[in-house]
Amino acid sequence: MTALLLVGLLAACQQGPPPPPPPSPATTSQTGYGPTERAFVELAISTGEQAVKLVGLTGRDDLKRNRATELTELRKLLDAPYADNHAGHDMPGMPTDAEIALAATSEEARDQFVRAHLTESLEVLRSAKQAITHPPTAAVVELMERHRTEELAAG
Amino acid sequence: MRKPLFHLVTILALAAGMLSIPVAAQGQPVRVAEFLAECPISHRLPDDPIVLPNLPGASHSHDFFGNHSTDARSTQQSLEGQRGNCNPNADISSYWVPTLYKDNNPIAPTIVTFYYLGEGVNNPAAIQPLPYGLKIVAGNAKATGDADSIARWSCLHAGQVNPSKNFVQCPAGTMLETYLDFPQCWNGRDLDSADHKSHMAYPVANACPSSHPVAVPKLRMVLRYPVNGSTSGLRLASGSGQTMHGDFFNVWPRSEMERRVRNCINVVIKCDHAGNQV
Repeated sequence: MTALLLVGLLAACQQGPPPPPPPSPATTSQTGYGPTERAFVELAISTGEQAVKLVGLTGRDDLKRNRATELTELRKLLDAPYADNHAGHDMPGMPTDAEIALAATSEEARDQFVRAHLTESLEVLRSAKQAITHPPTAAVVELMERHRTEELAAG
Repeated sequence: MRKPLFHLVTILALAAGMLSIPVAAQGQPVRVAEFLAECPISHRLPDDPIVLPNLPGASHSHDFFGNHSTDARSTQQSLEGQRGNCNPNADISSYWVPTLYKDNNPIAPTIVTFYYLGEGVNNPAAIQPLPYGLKIVAGNAKATGDADSIARWSCLHAGQVNPSKNFVQCPAGTMLETYLDFPQCWNGRDLDSADHKSHMAYPVANACPSSHPVAVPKLRMVLRYPVNGSTSGLRLASGSGQTMHGDFFNVWPRSEMERRVRNCINVVIKCDHAGNQV
């Protein structure tokens, strides 16, 4: 009963907040760089930074050069300070720290993880290709897809 | 990256025979501001419609509850009118968490309860319905230890085991469980935000801050996993137990949400699945 009275008193004494205005949609800049582009670029940087560590264990200059080029191009697209939202996660195409450590001790594991990185990130890129409309981001997606296709063909 | 067993994209719907309905002494309403939905796992996908919208296959693995149609391309419009697996079936909201693995085998929770509570703020009478289409992310997927985590792991039917922000070792015959409280103060304007967090806040000293003045029901997610014993080999798709996080996309029909807030939350009464006083 006391609780009931208290609730009643509080309700009487304290005005509720005004009715909220209509909600606003998620933000997309005038250039068309929207939530999907932002999410893709941040994910691709996070994946690329881990991939650099993995491909650094190989003798393949194409992999090292292409990952570095992609990271440069991706960072140009950022419209806010970069935050790695995926560190430590088990993301498609992203070598984990444990996998990189294992790759450093076994050539077989290394080659397997490199292949998984390429095939899985190619799947992510094909998904991104269908969703991304912002032309500069779409151009980087195309570049990355071409790199993966060439790298898989090279071995 | 993907482990061999991770190819199981389709998932076993789990027995719904574990629903526990609160029992109250006859004629005495329980003075707890609460209503609930129980939603077993619906499906498992490497998708995240909030954090990686429109990018199917780009996420770590998630277990999805409630709305059967949820995937990377889900929007308020795509979710409404679909079917889900919640009790009550009026709730077609989407809920998802990172997949739990034991020795790289995915493990689905078998008891999944979403409580909507009036606790946490001084004036439950002023709590407003969760806005239709609101997206909320709770927990810290990037947690690196206890200090930056709000995860809580404990054991069902084994209260002697102290809760922890990381996995705990549960005695034989008990289940590993995790609790997650979602922020309950809304900025009154945005259904989402660039970081998916800043449109919501937690109360301070039992009141919503002036930046986020609208109190809404507090969503508390409780998951029970059929796991006990050693914690070795346990991991989430996002990492350690401290990285436990949950996502919510509100698609409760407006009238069902409003009725429950009015009849259960504002008046501090415990309600059943149907939104009636127990």
